[in-house]
Amino acid sequence: MSEQKSMPPKKRGKVTIDEKRCKGCWYCIEYCPTKVLKVSEHLNEKGYHPPELVEEPPSKVCIACHLCELYCPDFAIVVEEIK
Amino acid sequence: MNPMEEMRREEEKLLRTDRLPHVWCPGCGIGITLNAFLRAFIRSKIDPNKLVVVSGIGCTGRAAGYVNVDSFHTTHGRGIPFAVGIKFARPDLNVVVFSGDGDLFAIGGNHFVNAARRNHDLLVIAVNNFTYGMTGGQHGPTTPTGAYTTTTPYGNPDRPFNIPHLAISLGAPYVARWTTYHVNQIQNSIYHALHKKGFRVIEVISQCPTVYGRRNDMKTPLEMMHYFQKNSVRKDDASFEELELSYNGKIVVGVFRDVQGIPTYEERYEDIIRRAKK
Ligand SMILES: Cc1ncc(C[n+]2csc(CCOP(=O)(O)OP(=O)(O)O)c2C)c(N)n1
Ligand code: SF4
Ligand code: SF4
Ligand code: SF4
Ligand SMILES: [Mg+2]
Repeated sequence: MSEQKSMPPKKRGKVTIDEKRCKGCWYCIEYCPTKVLKVSEHLNEKGYHPPELVEEPPSKVCIACHLCELYCPDFAIVVEEIK
Repeated sequence: MNPMEEMRREEEKLLRTDRLPHVWCPGCGIGITLNAFLRAFIRSKIDPNKLVVVSGIGCTGRAAGYVNVDSFHTTHGRGIPFAVGIKFARPDLNVVVFSGDGDLFAIGGNHFVNAARRNHDLLVIAVNNFTYGMTGGQHGPTTPTGAYTTTTPYGNPDRPFNIPHLAISLGAPYVARWTTYHVNQIQNSIYHALHKKGFRVIEVISQCPTVYGRRNDMKTPLEMMHYFQKNSVRKDDASFEELELSYNGKIVVGVFRDVQGIPTYEERYEDIIRRAKK
């Protein structure tokens, strides 16, 4: 088990946030299993803080699980698998 | 492209993207429910030309305006009667009613009860945020006893509707309840229900942080989501008492009824026409 845990995740993803649609609810940040999203410092044009990516490989990387897409109430996230 | 990427791309096509960002507040659960519905629909591979989305009035009722398929934004409480008419005129269409708790169970309550009793072939997605969101957070027929709203400043004395139990008592063939925390389960449930016939009811407990949450110690979207996350329990064979929702209490989720073979109203009607023509 512990050996498995230290293995870096295989699948990798690229997250794109449509900042115009984002309303800063931060569900995506909360429910990202690898915690690669954080609240950004800047504001979008509606005055919300959209999330931004903080990858720290090898373990803190987007694993293309798409959970943030499912939780986003604003259709503001697209995740693509990196091939 | 992998299936999830494909789905996200298809989802954009099913949205009226020119109208986005939508009107819903930050963290409003209606968007999560619509997201799950569109994904379930894409998975079903049903032709989008064979889908009609019908909503009543309310924040949830705005959903009809964001889907890029034939949709009806009807009058308050009348989503179900409009949907019944559509199904009668075009039995080949999949008719989905997507509306709020006030719309479906207060002003539209009688329509819900009788359409369920007659087993009209409709899928009803009922977004229950415990309040009339659009009009500023009044209490309604699904507000939990004791909850604070603009019209119950000392706590709600009423007992809320037990929606799954109500639907089951009327013979609805598919009855489920989830919260917006259950993003995959809502999607799977809608996917499953899209393949079934009859009056199918999926209650989605949803957050309205803006006018409900903030009066009930959950003023941020995440606080409401945490409440759903921590308090939901799956129990498909739940009793009446277990299905009742209490103020900030446990939320029993699951698929409470899933049966086949009950003739729909439309089938019975067709049969009558056939016999009358003989
Ligand atoms: C005939 C009529 N009566 C009252 C209203 C005012 N009204 C608009 S939305 C609404 C309640 C909506 O509540 P719900 O269905 O729970 O939707 P939500 O906004 O919570 O999603 C009411 C009473 C109306 N539009 N039409
Ligand atoms: S796809 Fe998964 S891992 Fe990647 S950002 Fe979204 S939630 Fe996190
Ligand atoms: S879930 Fe969507 S709307 Fe909410 S913060 Fe993330 S990107 Fe923005
Ligand atoms: S008022 Fe409530 S239900 Fe309406 S959009 Fe805002 S959060 Fe959603
Ligand atoms: Mg409501």
